[in-house]
Amino acid sequence: MTAKSTKQVSATADLERGYRNMVLPAVLAVGIFAIVPLAGMLALSVSDYHLLRGTNWEFGFKNFVRLVSDKRLMGSVYAMAVLSFFGVTAQVLIGAAIAVGLSKIVGRWRLGRVLFLLPYAVPHVAVALIWLSLFTPTLSPINAFFDLFGVTVPSFLTTQNGALFAIVLADTWTNFPFAMLIILAALQGISPDLEEAAALDGATRIQTFFYVTLPLLIPAFLLVTLFRFIDSLKHFPMIFVMTKGGPGRSTQATNYYGYIQTFQNSNVAYGAAIAVTLFIVAAIISFYVAKLNQRVTS
Amino acid sequence: MMSVLVFFAALPTVWVLIMSFREQSVIFEPFWESPLAVTFDNYLGITRSEFPRALLNSFICAGASTLLAMIVGVPAGFALAKSRLSGKFYASWTLLLLRMAPPVGFVIPLFLLYVNAGLIDSYFGLITAYMTLTLPLIVWSMWNSFAQVPDELVEAAIMDGASLGKAFLLVALPAARPGAVAAAILGFLIVWNDFFYALIITRSTTVTAPVAVMNFISYDSVDWGSIAVASIALTLPILPLMVMANRYIVQSLSGAVKG
Repeated sequence: MTAKSTKQVSATADLERGYRNMVLPAVLAVGIFAIVPLAGMLALSVSDYHLLRGTNWEFGFKNFVRLVSDKRLMGSVYAMAVLSFFGVTAQVLIGAAIAVGLSKIVGRWRLGRVLFLLPYAVPHVAVALIWLSLFTPTLSPINAFFDLFGVTVPSFLTTQNGALFAIVLADTWTNFPFAMLIILAALQGISPDLEEAAALDGATRIQTFFYVTLPLLIPAFLLVTLFRFIDSLKHFPMIFVMTKGGPGRSTQATNYYGYIQTFQNSNVAYGAAIAVTLFIVAAIISFYVAKLNQRVTS
Repeated sequence: MMSVLVFFAALPTVWVLIMSFREQSVIFEPFWESPLAVTFDNYLGITRSEFPRALLNSFICAGASTLLAMIVGVPAGFALAKSRLSGKFYASWTLLLLRMAPPVGFVIPLFLLYVNAGLIDSYFGLITAYMTLTLPLIVWSMWNSFAQVPDELVEAAIMDGASLGKAFLLVALPAARPGAVAAAILGFLIVWNDFFYALIITRSTTVTAPVAVMNFISYDSVDWGSIAVASIALTLPILPLMVMANRYIVQSLSGAVKG
């Protein structure tokens, strides 16, 4: 080995050491701020900790055994699934429709973009309160408007499916702009030449859209669906503000159910077990997203 | 079709504006029956309530936890994008997992820890807790931003004798500046939006605006006028940030994450 290449090797080693020192603070910070609470969650989930009764230091998997036969948990998973499925579907479809619409209007486009972006800027608590007011029959302008024609709009928040629908609607209103932004960016990335070529070959506009444009949008659709799905598992403020999980327990999605068990029923250990279960689901999904991301970037 | 969507997007916004100017005594009447019952009382009322203080708390917490996460997270994002460190896959998995993990899982242990350490309702406790939200987000989006800076740029600076620190500060960081601004905005927004953490670990001194709005709902009545004004006050400060950042939301997602 010549002197020069030895020098280069040690320079690369120095460089890698420098990089490691730059990552280290973040690794420590993530360790302290995130891993410690997560370890606490794991420990609590196998304990018998109760907010009022404290603990007898008995450890075991009885919380998880209880989870398997918990009908309320099943109900919460159903509520979460309904909210996720309908919410994400509506957001993607509406976002896509507006993105396609906006990409055709070039002139007034900036203002239109801000109008459609606005719902995304409203914090979720405010979104929930605004929609709560729209779903309060004595207050809502929608109810008052239909009253003019003698039509009584039913009270959505007092029925099971109505309450789920109300949350889906509020969630859709605030999150469709996210889908719109991503799909709009993907649309702008498509070369107009492709559509022109299709037109020259005699394709109609509808054919062009379905056979040329749409297939090119699939990665964007996947991305949006994935990230909206992930966030939809974390539903909290809208349930807390609009329905409190009711009527009955019909809108108690799983994250909310964990909160109820922990902070209302004081059953911390059981709440932690619910959180651990959700966490495992998140770990599996994020593993595949990380794999996907690795493949895309490398 | 488009007009239906415009209506859907605009109705709640218009409704909040109307509600915010309605006199308390007529708020349950349809607004077209008493269109002249317009008042600024709701706006004045808010300024006399605890709400401005809560808005200030939101600013402090969002600003501080974003700043801290930027100081730690930006160099880390650079190193993850440019080095050949092993374990990068696990780093990206951890960052994504932290972003996806159920908030209730973080909040339960933090709550118990804070009760025992006397950190409930303290700025230190709240800002620290928010680091669990901002840090993964900022490291991830800076990783994406620095990945878009050409490797040759950094390599050339080092060839010319610059130290790694200099190459980072003087070459890579200026090139990734739009990404850094976007990451900071996204970090700020995620804390500004938070309801759950603040609900559990604040009481009165450090209560943030999203939780303080709930004070306008009492056991037997709801102060809708104030709620409307508070909702506007919650949205207006971040609207320009959102308009500025929306292009970068897409960009920082090109790797695959949402702010």
